[in-house]
Amino acid sequence: MTADVEPATITFDRATVELDAVQRAAYAVAATMTVDIRVSANEYVCTLFPRTAGTDLHDLQHQMRSEVIDQTLRLRIGQQTEPLRNLIFALAFSQTGLADPEAPES
Amino acid sequence: MTLRLARATTDLPPAGWQLLPLRFHRLDPDSILVTNLVGEHAFLTESQLLSVLDGTCTNQRLLAELRAKHLIQVPGERLPAELLAIKLRTRLRRLPDSTGLHMFVVTLRCEHTCRYCQVSRQSTAKSDYDMSEETARRALDLAFRSPSPHLKLEFQGGEPLLNFPLVRWIVAEAKRMNEVHSKQLAFVIATNLALLDDDVIEFCGQEDVYLSTSLDGPADVHNGNRRRPGQDSWERTVSGIRTVQQTLGPGRVSALMTTTEASLDRPQDIINSYAELGLRHVFLRPISPYGFALRRRGGAGYGVQRWLTFYEAGLDHIIDLNRHGVPMVEAYTAIVAKKMFTNDDPGYVDLTSPAGIGLGALVYNYDGDVYASDEGRMLAEMNDHTFRLGNVHRSSYRDIMLSDQLLQPLQESFTLSAPMCSTCAFEPYCGADPVFHHTTMGDFAGQKAMSAFCQRNMGVFTAVLRRAREDDFTRELFFRWAQQ
Repeated sequence: MTADVEPATITFDRATVELDAVQRAAYAVAATMTVDIRVSANEYVCTLFPRTAGTDLHDLQHQMRSEVIDQTLRLRIGQQTEPLRNLIFALAFSQTGLADPEAPES
Repeated sequence: MTLRLARATTDLPPAGWQLLPLRFHRLDPDSILVTNLVGEHAFLTESQLLSVLDGTCTNQRLLAELRAKHLIQVPGERLPAELLAIKLRTRLRRLPDSTGLHMFVVTLRCEHTCRYCQVSRQSTAKSDYDMSEETARRALDLAFRSPSPHLKLEFQGGEPLLNFPLVRWIVAEAKRMNEVHSKQLAFVIATNLALLDDDVIEFCGQEDVYLSTSLDGPADVHNGNRRRPGQDSWERTVSGIRTVQQTLGPGRVSALMTTTEASLDRPQDIINSYAELGLRHVFLRPISPYGFALRRRGGAGYGVQRWLTFYEAGLDHIIDLNRHGVPMVEAYTAIVAKKMFTNDDPGYVDLTSPAGIGLGALVYNYDGDVYASDEGRMLAEMNDHTFRLGNVHRSSYRDIMLSDQLLQPLQESFTLSAPMCSTCAFEPYCGADPVFHHTTMGDFAGQKAMSAFCQRNMGVFTAVLRRAREDDFTRELFFRWAQQ
């Protein structure tokens, strides 16, 4: 049930936060709120809509802020480790024969 | 000769390491779980994690631990990537060898009317709901097309002993076919044991057939859930278990329980009822949101948190029993422990990615329809045929295994690409369940922030990790379960 309560707003500096991280965070907090993301000149403006009435809006802001930080770290780790990740998967699957065509239907 | 052991690691200077692919999850305000691609893990504080990420960590003991667990490496090293690749391949080794489990629904008839039954029950007189020999033969042809060198044929229902002649026929035919295929065959009858008699016992003994039954706990819980004429389901099941144990051996019968509302306050009683019967494995299973269970809600109204409370109380009781010399195993925890503490993956169909549907199991319904999982068959009883892959009379093996009905849910639910799963620290321990998410959320991947599957499994993983960290005996116990 979506509550008819006033939403909260929180902004993120575009110079330090990627849109991908904000979107991933919005997805991750979907159990407690829905998030409308708009882009201004220097900021991402996030409007937080609590799913249940009586939710502390400050709690929502803390949760969203914390989630954006975690998602930013995850993106950073992902970017740093992507070449090694690809190498490991290439090594893992290079000897499986999974690419072999299937034998003809009998 | 003097053997000199070189020091395995040297102190790392600031920024003297690089990250290997890793993921993290906040367990509590003081502890962050960090895992690598294959589930090797460490617990860090937030400041430790940040210092490792930004190259300022000076805690050499921590760096050595992270290096040993393949969470970081020295730039230019090749061995960690190669070892991780080997471990990854080990975990996924079953993938080319699909499909190991083949379930034959030999009849829909049943003399029980269980509150949570997931398939429509039928009168025991209606043989219209029995599988025919021709259907079974075509199903066997498909089963033997599977690349897997191990085939487990499981007979399901309804109550499969109501069509026991077909069970006999399938076992004999499978063994005859296997003279050519030379696979490792195993047979299991999933039965309530109410109809167990000397013929069945003799057959199971001669043909090396295992029995799997349902036991929900003490008589009042069991009989409240599992109703039959005479209200003697528990008495018949317990009698059957004892008979099988005495005649065929204690390892030839196992039991599963289903958690209903009546179970939630009784974890100790349920586990003790297993221990008293000499059953060493208890599987504290939540009720499934499929088929008839969803319509009648035989106690299915409880939420994830109540089940987790039940599970944790049960797990603690099992640990205590072990502490006092009673060797009990919680089966789901053992599966999780193997994924958590070894480089192996047990291939459990409900906790693997790519999902276990089709690749881990195929179900042949009495009418020849082929389903990607037993849950997919149950869904069909609600007129949702999303997971019907074909029919043994009309579809080839290729039609079934390359059908969009199978490939699309496998692709969309794959945890290494699904939103939230791909960055989740628990991903190496978890799995994809497109049937559950299709049923409860309307798409194969599911919105994980609101997924009961996700909440339940994250709760289980957290409970297991916390107990392993806090208590040496429990950690050693989980290690032993992981090796089984």
